[in-house]
Amino acid sequence: MGASLIDIKKKIASTKKTSQITSAMQMVSGSKLNKSEETAKKFQEYAKKVRAITTHLVASQLETIDEAETLNGFETSLIEEHGLHSMLVKRPVKKTGYIVITADKGLAGGYNSAVIKQTLTMLQNDHKSQDEYVLATIGGTDTDFFKGRGMNIAYELRGLSDQPTFNEVRKIVNAATQMYSNGVYDELYVCYNHHVNSLSSQFRVEKMLPISDLDPSEAKSYEEEYILEPSEDQILDILLPQYAESLIYGAIIDAKTAEHAARMTAMKSATDNAHNIIDDLTISYNRARQTAITEEITEIVGGAAALD
Amino acid sequence: MDYLTVNVVTPNGIVYDHHARIVVARAIDGEIGILPKHAPIITPLAIDEVKVKRSDADTHVDWIAVNGGVMEVRDNLVSIIADSAERERDIDVTRAERAKMRAERRIEEAKHVENVDELKRATVALHRAINRINVSKHL
Repeated sequence: MGASLIDIKKKIASTKKTSQITSAMQMVSGSKLNKSEETAKKFQEYAKKVRAITTHLVASQLETIDEAETLNGFETSLIEEHGLHSMLVKRPVKKTGYIVITADKGLAGGYNSAVIKQTLTMLQNDHKSQDEYVLATIGGTDTDFFKGRGMNIAYELRGLSDQPTFNEVRKIVNAATQMYSNGVYDELYVCYNHHVNSLSSQFRVEKMLPISDLDPSEAKSYEEEYILEPSEDQILDILLPQYAESLIYGAIIDAKTAEHAARMTAMKSATDNAHNIIDDLTISYNRARQTAITEEITEIVGGAAALD
Repeated sequence: MDYLTVNVVTPNGIVYDHHARIVVARAIDGEIGILPKHAPIITPLAIDEVKVKRSDADTHVDWIAVNGGVMEVRDNLVSIIADSAERERDIDVTRAERAKMRAERRIEEAKHVENVDELKRATVALHRAINRINVSKHL
């Protein structure tokens, strides 16, 4: 028995304090997770609506694109030929944009490292040189990591609140869609952890631009022609960026929810570990105490025997 | 009697959901009034107020401050999607006043350094703030 009784007692006390802190953090993250899930639900209503309106509006354009794509891959001349919107048409990819979303802080288990590791592998597999992509980062962890490796970061955003409002991220989503329109990159992906449930999340890379996930068949059932004021092009110029922005915002909310969930599970396992350690320490404390008592009794008995 | 269903949705949730007899909004090219049985239409909105006459009371009028966005009408369903929107009773006037002051300061600064983009953004921000203040006065 190496450690003395007092040492073990001190260790137990400090582990207990740690476990109190981690369990408090677990509860905080738990309530943040609930709130985030609610925000995500509310946002779904908006996303559904934006998607519906966009689909109604571009149904005819989507069909033209589908036809053209089955004929000859992609064609930039489509834009001029059919008056299609640049956000809908694929163009030859010279540069790719990535938005990488992580947390600002650690203590979230494998949340940050999962995103960073898998993004890095993906970048190395898909691109020959760093000139082929631009990064935009949300969260401190990935910003520092990619900066440390000398990668070019076009936009960074730190200090996102726990329940990010659309206003907070407006700048980065606006910038992202604008850079696409200005031709800084020809594709935009968002890399983040998708929230599956409170125990697991899943790394996801989603294509945001050009807009490709609209299904013209969803709008087919409606025969009546829309009045488009002032013109289709002008509406698309407003609606399509709004749609793309809503997709990116959705990803950010999803990532935040996953972050809270990851933090909650990380803190839960930290608390459980602390409790296990306390149990082990208590056993060795009792043993040490028992040994001390036995020793004392032997000494007394020995002393008494010596007197006789 | 026919009536319209009015939905105003923002990324932060549904802001407004009621039946109405008439909806008056300002599109980017002028004011537009929607009555029941209106033909399907899609139009972008300006940063302005949307006026809704409710169907459940003759005199009841609701005002909603919308920050741009797009309005779709089909089958008596009016859907407005916007970055942000607030009903007159939900507007925090002091916050709006602060936002207005901040926007004015940004405009001054942008003019000073001749930053055209910043000036544009600040002007939009000022519009938004003024719009919210105006709408809150209807209460």
